[in-house]
Amino acid sequence: MFRSTLILALCATWSSTLSAQDLTHKAKPQAGPIAISNATIHVVTGDPIENGLVVFDKGKIVFVGSARGQLPNGAKVIDGTGMHVYPGLISSYTHLGLTEIGAVRASRDMDEAGAVTPEVRAAVAVNPDSTLLPVTRSNGILTFATFPRGGTIPGRASLMRMDGWTWEDMAVRADAGLVVRWPNARPPRRRGRRAPTASPYEESVQRIRDSFARARAYVRWTQNTKTPKSTDLAWEAFRNTLSRARPVFFLANTYQQITEVVAFARKERIRAVIVGGHDADLCAPLLVANNVGVIIENIHRFPKRSDSPVDEVYRLPSRLEKAGVLWCLASGDRTANERNLPFAAARAVAYGLAPAAALRSITINAAKVFGVDSELGSIETGKRATLIVTDGDPLQIPTHVKMAFIDGRSIDLTNKQTALFEKYKAKYRRK
Amino acid sequence: MRSAVLVLTVLLSVVAAREAPPNGPRRIKPGAHFLIGATLHIDPETTQADTTLLLRNGRIAAIGGTVPDDARVWDAHGLHVYSGFIDAHVGVDVSDQKGEHWNTKVRPQRRAHAIPNATAGALRKLGFTAAVAAPKSGILRGRATLISLSKRDADRSKPRPLVHGRDVYQSIGLERFDDSNKGYPTSLMGAIAVIRQSLHDGLLGAQPLVFDTEDELDALRVTKIGREFKRRTIVLGSGLEFRRIAAMAAERNPIIAPVRLPPAPDVSSVGAIEAVDLREMMTWEQAPTNLRRLDEANVPVALTTSKLKNRTDFWKSVRQHIAHGLKPERAYAMLSATPASMLGAEGRLGSISIGKLAHLVVADRPLFTDKEARILSVWIDGERYELAKPRTDVLGKWQFGNAVLEITGKNRAVLVVDKKRHKARRVAVAGQRIHLAFDLPDGALVVSAEQRGEDLVGQTIVNGERAPWGRIARRIEKISADKEDEDQQPDDDDELDHSDVPANYGYPFGPYARVGQRRPPKRIIIAGATVWTCGQDGIIADGQVDIAGGEIVYVGKRNPVEGDGIVTIDAKGMHLTPGIIDCHSHTGISRGVNDSGQAVTAEVRIGDVTNPDAISWYRQLACGVTTVNSLHGSANPIGGQNQVNKVRWGVTHPDQMHFAKAPGGIKFALGENVKQSNWGDDYTTRYPQTRMGVETLMRDRFNAAREYMRVGGRRKIDLELEALAEILRGERLIHCHSYRQDEILMLCRIAGDFGFKIGTFQHVLEGYKVADEIAKHALGGSAFSDWWAYKVEVQDAIPYNGALMHEVGVVVSFNSDSDDLVRRLNTEAAKAIKYGGLSREDAFRFVTLNPAKQLKIDHLVGSIEKGKHADLALWNGDPMSTFTRCVGTWVDGERLYSEDEDREQRKLIASERKRLIDKLVKRAHNRPHTGDKERGPIWWMKRAQHAACGLCGTQEVR
Repeated sequence: MFRSTLILALCATWSSTLSAQDLTHKAKPQAGPIAISNATIHVVTGDPIENGLVVFDKGKIVFVGSARGQLPNGAKVIDGTGMHVYPGLISSYTHLGLTEIGAVRASRDMDEAGAVTPEVRAAVAVNPDSTLLPVTRSNGILTFATFPRGGTIPGRASLMRMDGWTWEDMAVRADAGLVVRWPNARPPRRRGRRAPTASPYEESVQRIRDSFARARAYVRWTQNTKTPKSTDLAWEAFRNTLSRARPVFFLANTYQQITEVVAFARKERIRAVIVGGHDADLCAPLLVANNVGVIIENIHRFPKRSDSPVDEVYRLPSRLEKAGVLWCLASGDRTANERNLPFAAARAVAYGLAPAAALRSITINAAKVFGVDSELGSIETGKRATLIVTDGDPLQIPTHVKMAFIDGRSIDLTNKQTALFEKYKAKYRRK
Repeated sequence: MRSAVLVLTVLLSVVAAREAPPNGPRRIKPGAHFLIGATLHIDPETTQADTTLLLRNGRIAAIGGTVPDDARVWDAHGLHVYSGFIDAHVGVDVSDQKGEHWNTKVRPQRRAHAIPNATAGALRKLGFTAAVAAPKSGILRGRATLISLSKRDADRSKPRPLVHGRDVYQSIGLERFDDSNKGYPTSLMGAIAVIRQSLHDGLLGAQPLVFDTEDELDALRVTKIGREFKRRTIVLGSGLEFRRIAAMAAERNPIIAPVRLPPAPDVSSVGAIEAVDLREMMTWEQAPTNLRRLDEANVPVALTTSKLKNRTDFWKSVRQHIAHGLKPERAYAMLSATPASMLGAEGRLGSISIGKLAHLVVADRPLFTDKEARILSVWIDGERYELAKPRTDVLGKWQFGNAVLEITGKNRAVLVVDKKRHKARRVAVAGQRIHLAFDLPDGALVVSAEQRGEDLVGQTIVNGERAPWGRIARRIEKISADKEDEDQQPDDDDELDHSDVPANYGYPFGPYARVGQRRPPKRIIIAGATVWTCGQDGIIADGQVDIAGGEIVYVGKRNPVEGDGIVTIDAKGMHLTPGIIDCHSHTGISRGVNDSGQAVTAEVRIGDVTNPDAISWYRQLACGVTTVNSLHGSANPIGGQNQVNKVRWGVTHPDQMHFAKAPGGIKFALGENVKQSNWGDDYTTRYPQTRMGVETLMRDRFNAAREYMRVGGRRKIDLELEALAEILRGERLIHCHSYRQDEILMLCRIAGDFGFKIGTFQHVLEGYKVADEIAKHALGGSAFSDWWAYKVEVQDAIPYNGALMHEVGVVVSFNSDSDDLVRRLNTEAAKAIKYGGLSREDAFRFVTLNPAKQLKIDHLVGSIEKGKHADLALWNGDPMSTFTRCVGTWVDGERLYSEDEDREQRKLIASERKRLIDKLVKRAHNRPHTGDKERGPIWWMKRAQHAACGLCGTQEVR
């Protein structure tokens, strides 16, 4: 039964996806309760439930447990025999929606002019019809954070879901937090590239300190006076940061950068998240003591030095896990290849990380870092029904995502690439 | 060796020199000089103490013997006299001389005539009396002249410096255009191609060739060119030759060696130590052993002051080399006899022998052994240049009446009267004269005296009374060291113990080196693994593979054998596969993956610039990779020749990486990269700018090649057309970077029209749209598994591409084009299962047998079959699982990686890092680097090691 519905779904969307990339239909709101039975439920926050049942209604999970559980009246039942249910995967650092074709300037929206542009938000530039989204989604990534990139304070990141007619529909958190690029005192020299045009280290640090100080003054000033004041959008953007409602994502990799960020965050009493974190294991106790989470950006990097262990980077996740740091993994890949995120997490498993920890790093831990763990990242009652149904472990490449639900809405898993595949299969079949 | 013609021109040049008429009264100088009492260092082996030396008419006339009537006599008692030193390379600017060749970097006819006075003066101060003026800048830079370092007078009537050899060599640099001055070549391999073509064109006469090199790999590269053209070749070294000393010893190619030493790496903070590379520290520690090691390897070495940041550091550097084991007499040879014979001037220069020119160095102490030694004068062509006054010798304790006078420094003296010490208020020492002033209880004591041996003779004023002139003191004890120095740090570490400097290191120089030759066991048995043969036998559970003589000698079910020389590896629970083959790599290519200076560069060769030091090779071994196709980048419609390499980590010569039996190939490219779509607004004029132009250009070059072939044996060799002719003859495989279906079809049509078969389409992202044509016209398609959307031309790339092409009959491989991605090609293969549903075995062939077929090496590698090379990878699980990692890799039957050995290597690295950091901290003295403001790795050390990120050389040019 399951198989036939899937094939039907494919056929239904087939004609529409043939001509262009972004013509997949947006999902309809969940009409009635849906139950997936007899599948292995990987709840992530606990042990997997063999032969389990998950029920969701009105976009929320209402039941997780053994298959003997009670089915609500009128539930559509999906037989998940041999299948696995996982929470939707979360990409914690991408530029999805902000870029279409890397080489074409007109299709890039990550880099605003100026060194300090906290006022800009990623969400408003996310193109809901980007071809990249359905391709990424079809490998199980249902939630993604998208980041502005240019300057010392590039703007604010947004947490989005992979479905919606508009960016507003898609936004989980339009303002997910401020992004700050902490400067490196010893900028790495890359061969064949010109020295970075960014201003020197001290200047950048001063710029960050000034921005926070001015924002704090502005917020105090606008609160304390009754007469209306003219609005400064840059310092307005700090309100969530200074009230600790949102974290600050510090792009920082080296030992020096990370230690300086933690000191700065303590002084400013803000919530810090490290993005990058190449040397995070060198300062793990510091991160744990200060409750600073890390988004490891890319484990497909080269070891720091030629004499470093060949698996230095691959083993970073297992070292952070052992040290008790809250970490999640970002693919660090080109935006168009974000679908490979689970395989990046799997790489750490080959080098000592427990598979369950790898899975957490692209689900619940990412949700925790973004402060949405009460809504996303695991299969628990009350959470959003954002989940995938697979024929195997999503960390393994041959695994297929068979079905996906975002807030209970059934997601079309076809995309431009599957359409082209079908089209050219037909070409050779006709010959 | 040197031609007779050259010797003749040298002689003529001296005879023919005609003097200008005098401007004023003539100055008749004595024609003869007689040096008495000196220790003559006649040549490196012969020293003669307390003897005489007669110079007449600028030549050495006699050694020993008595003073002739007409000679001016020089007291040289206690002094040391050496044959004048020769600097075998002094770069001089001759850029104003125009040339004929279309390429502005090719100016072989230029000639350097003279060395600027300031440079000559600086060289004289170091003891040099002759030097080679060599043209600077360019590739074929021009002809060099060996001349005296005498002062050039503005007055033309004064004699000019003597010329000892014209056209002693052609000065050649491996120089390329950078981004700011566009032109060809833009790469090292391009520069080598220019040199090779020029040698074919006969532009370089018969002169020896001196190549300016940036590192030890360059030295081996240029030696290879010399051998190819049977030309006498000399390497202008880098100071880094010690890093490949075995190859240097095997080649014994003469080297003009700079003595520069790298500054100490920065270890001043935690961050700095985190950043400092072991190889950089090792280079710092070993660099002063360079000359000793070259000498021990019997490599002829001549020294040069070239490449020193400050020429004045020359002697400090030489003494560091001596402190690190270079024999002093060998250092002397490297400055005299060796350069003289290297430059063909051994009849005139190079030793103190009767009949040779009077080129001498006079020092107050033995120059090569005494760090205090100073050069007092040099003699050039019989002319004396005074460089320093004799050293003050007044230091010591002197009996001064009843008192004792202690002179301990140039401005320090103490008078001890009745055990009371009185410091001198003023001390002035000028040569042999000394002036002292003391403030004694009875009043001032002023002494003005002159040293005569062990006496001070002069006058004193005591109590306002002037004593009569006469002997005033006699020395009772000598003090040699200037006490002032004691407060300072030791001048450098040349007085420190160097016994901790490791005598040996493996290859490549740096971390994870392989030390020594390991004798492989007679037979290696890998037993119990699941064997993925990728051949007829499919997957064998509980299988066994035997290796002997670098080849696979048994494949099958487990069948244990025991005996002498048999090593059995228990691989139960593991998986054994053929080594991974990457059909698109840019690893270990020195200085330029692309030569983008021209649209057609068929003459450049990746094989010329193999860099076996790139750490990326080791990292790839650690992920099961054993063979790669090293390709030129995709900047040009017709790019350079590729090189198939085996990942033979630890070879002594770079060319040992080459897969000798792999047929030659060449990179072609289509689409956005070659039409410069993403190069920026400055690049809009090179033909082609459209896909239409790409086709035209290719057809035109193939027509040209056909016409060239028609000319037959009489043709002038054109290396570009030679390569294209090889394609037409079916001897060279095209590996064509391609994206869109239209351009893929276009090249298929060219191949059809010109009657050759294409090797591979690389990337071939829209290959699935014309898979049937590819199957007909090419050996295969080598694709990215799932890259897309980074450029306009890859919008239609789909991950199903591989499976679709495979179904239509194309031999498909997945490649990396990246030093990173290559480390997980085993799991990339699994994407052909995910996208398109291939069987596991078919998918795994995408990274083993299929790329071997595409490179026409499938009879040697790519599967585990009897008789094939023992290139194997052992995995701790299913090789296509993302949870699996490689635990052992064999190349040609030799295990070049294993987790166990790697663990040992890490321990070794950790202890070496600790030792070197300790040493650096100990010797840092909390002072800044000498003259080097840039902290961190220095460019000329770092380059060779730096792992190129692949990606066809430039970002977004994939």
